Amino acid sequence: MDHDQDAAKLRNPWPRFGWWFTATLLIVAAVLGFVVLGRYQQNGPELDLWTAICRAVGITSESRAAGAPQPPLRTPTRIAWTAATISQIASGNAKHGASVAVTCVACHGEQVSASPLFPTLAGMDATVIYKQLDDFRSGKRQPGVMSAIATALSERDSADVAAYFATREGGLAPIAGEPLPAGGRSLRQSDPTIRLVFAGDPGRGLPPCAACHGPGDRKLGAPTLNGQQAAYIESQLTAFAQGGRQNDINQQMRVIAEQLTPDEIHALAQHYGGRGLSRAVQTNDPATTQARRARGFETRLAASR
Amino acid sequence: MHGTRRLTLFHYWVAFATFLVAIVLGAWQMLMRSPLPAPLDDSAAYYASVTLHGTAMAYVVTTFFIMGFGYAVAATSLGRPLRGVTAAWVGFATCLLGTVMAVAAIVSGRASVLYTFYPPLLASAWYYGGAFLLIGGSMIWVAVMIVNMTQWKRDNPGRPVPLPMFAIAATAILWAWAASGVLIELACILLPRAFGWSDLIDAELGRTLFSVTLHAIVYFWLMPAYIAFYTLVPQAAGGRLYSDTMGRLTFIMLLVFALPVGMHHLLADPGHGSGFKFLQSALTFLVVLPTLLTVFSICASLEVAGRVRGGRGLFGWIGALPWKEPMVLAVGLSLVMLGLGGFGGLINMSYAMNLMIHNTSWVTAHFHLIFGGAVVIMYFAIAYQMWPQITGKPLRSKALARTQLWLWFWGMLITTIPWHIAGLMGQPRRVSSFDYADPLMARMGPLVIVSVIGGLMLLVSAILLIVVLIRSHFGEKTAEAPLRYALAVNPPVRVPASLNGFGLWNAIVLVLMVIAYGYPIGQFFFLKQHSVPAVEVTSQTGVEERP
Repeated sequence: MDHDQDAAKLRNPWPRFGWWFTATLLIVAAVLGFVVLGRYQQNGPELDLWTAICRAVGITSESRAAGAPQPPLRTPTRIAWTAATISQIASGNAKHGASVAVTCVACHGEQVSASPLFPTLAGMDATVIYKQLDDFRSGKRQPGVMSAIATALSERDSADVAAYFATREGGLAPIAGEPLPAGGRSLRQSDPTIRLVFAGDPGRGLPPCAACHGPGDRKLGAPTLNGQQAAYIESQLTAFAQGGRQNDINQQMRVIAEQLTPDEIHALAQHYGGRGLSRAVQTNDPATTQARRARGFETRLAASR
Repeated sequence: MHGTRRLTLFHYWVAFATFLVAIVLGAWQMLMRSPLPAPLDDSAAYYASVTLHGTAMAYVVTTFFIMGFGYAVAATSLGRPLRGVTAAWVGFATCLLGTVMAVAAIVSGRASVLYTFYPPLLASAWYYGGAFLLIGGSMIWVAVMIVNMTQWKRDNPGRPVPLPMFAIAATAILWAWAASGVLIELACILLPRAFGWSDLIDAELGRTLFSVTLHAIVYFWLMPAYIAFYTLVPQAAGGRLYSDTMGRLTFIMLLVFALPVGMHHLLADPGHGSGFKFLQSALTFLVVLPTLLTVFSICASLEVAGRVRGGRGLFGWIGALPWKEPMVLAVGLSLVMLGLGGFGGLINMSYAMNLMIHNTSWVTAHFHLIFGGAVVIMYFAIAYQMWPQITGKPLRSKALARTQLWLWFWGMLITTIPWHIAGLMGQPRRVSSFDYADPLMARMGPLVIVSVIGGLMLLVSAILLIVVLIRSHFGEKTAEAPLRYALAVNPPVRVPASLNGFGLWNAIVLVLMVIAYGYPIGQFFFLKQHSVPAVEVTSQTGVEERP
């Protein structure tokens, strides 16, 4: 072996051993992995050679059946949070939005909505209003009065009216700057509703409401809840639970709401409906509220880019 | 030589200072997920902390330690000054800058994606940029190691490269192959999305590229321990290395079998077919060859030493070994942990058994026992062995060092054995807090509390390590003790070219990588489309807003 002084020559012992070993190893592993293991199914029929190899490389029978009739693809919404969508919303003109909103305020109110069954929009994040209008327009949310109204609006109008409501005072309380409760995000909270809101319920796989709706963290498209009409929150959670509403992008609200008991839904609705609004009215300092709201939106926008 | 010592010392201090901070975080995380009350009971802080702990331990501590170790080994084993000292300092500065950027991003709460990135989770560009600089900067070290070996070979034609240099060069080449995956993922997928140049993120492709890195990086961490096993342990025990050729074969096999195997981290991933998972799973098993070869060689070398020291009989040589030497004590403790952890690893890498423990505490326990235990305890021993050589001052004191090593050993066992059991019971990993009132979780509560006690022992041990190193660093100046490597029982005179260089083995690695990863990566470009919207980690933590 002392004469083995060229690693590139196959007749030398080490290169020969190295390549033979590698080749044998690969062939044995490949035959086992791509043919034998794929072919003999313990709980199913034996596959033919070609199907077994296709399965083993990750091409499944579903990917082969291109010609077969497919069930219609159902997407929960047309909106995706791309940079283009976000900048479209961010460029909304609140002044023009005010003239569009003349129709809206009849039900949704200048500050607080006229009926507990309609959501308050003043102070709602612009991305939320924009998305919901588009969902109504495309039929992704239950058709009704709102579908007719939304169909009449252009995308530009939607962005403008969203900007108008987002900057309105005296409605929903802003999330940015909202403090956490004394117990923080701890599962050791004694109040079960507060625990659901801030810590979730890992046993049922429920994330905390605050993880998306704030405070602390925010996901684009998740509505502000503080100060919202309790009856409206309750009806929407119920609709998500029963499948009447299906426009949540990743099905997260349907999955969560399904697992909540009616009592929990009621308690959560009361929790959000009962707080925040009073706080916003109490604070009633337009400068602070405005600054917080602007900062919150900018942070999210910057972060999303 | 003086320049290399400073270089090594700077690298070691960055590594060990980061290590101490990361241990404190680790201890807090254990408290947080236990039934015991923890200060700052906050999930967002937990995930930021896990990210920092993982990034620090997996990228910062290891990379800096191994780079410093490599420079020291190259200078001492070749017996001539290191070539490329300036480049090495540039590498050090680049890695340090990357570390600062990544840490700043994590602390600001905008990078809580864990050190394995998990696309479509998306962190701040500062975090990815920092990681890129840190890992990319270490490629300068790779180049310095390869240049030093090739120049020495050119100047000494026909002579065998000293085993320590051969092994550290294998480490450098392994790291270059391994890092390619994560560097491509950062540069082509994560950074473009973080900068906003693209809207979507190909999560499957990203995870597949990361898997190229994810297992080989573990062997990159392991290499210094193996180098110490072969070249420092027999010397510290007062004997000789049983076989130089076995050493060379071990490092060659680690290089070859560490790389085309990363997909066993994706056994539960939907993006790949079962064939490639099985293929890589099978290749993973071959890593038992260098491991068993090493266990045999080291035991044989220790037996040589024990018999030279007067040990008689079948087991008498074991008692005759100098167990008061930190290096000898560490290798004994390390092999116990390697054995226990290795058996757990067999389950992780088996395609059929992995599903039982996938994503449970079992996995966390496994890599803490193997890396945090068997490997890191050898890092301590290497530091104790090298400290007199690089500072010119004696170690103060060996007794304290031994206490530290024992504490680390028991701490790691007490931490990880309950984790293994809780994992088998189904406790998931990467979860910030558990509802122990739930009957399913309640039975895991006592186990988790026991592991917290182990965690506190590890914390005390880490503090002891820093105390020993600082006390030695500021001790009185004494005569310098050169670092000596173990001679083989039969020192090599002339070795085959294949065992004196890496040309053949790099070619084999290339073929294996193309076969193992060519289709799994290629399919994303012509068969499947996995691009999805990113899930941004835009946590404002809410902590600073608290009144």
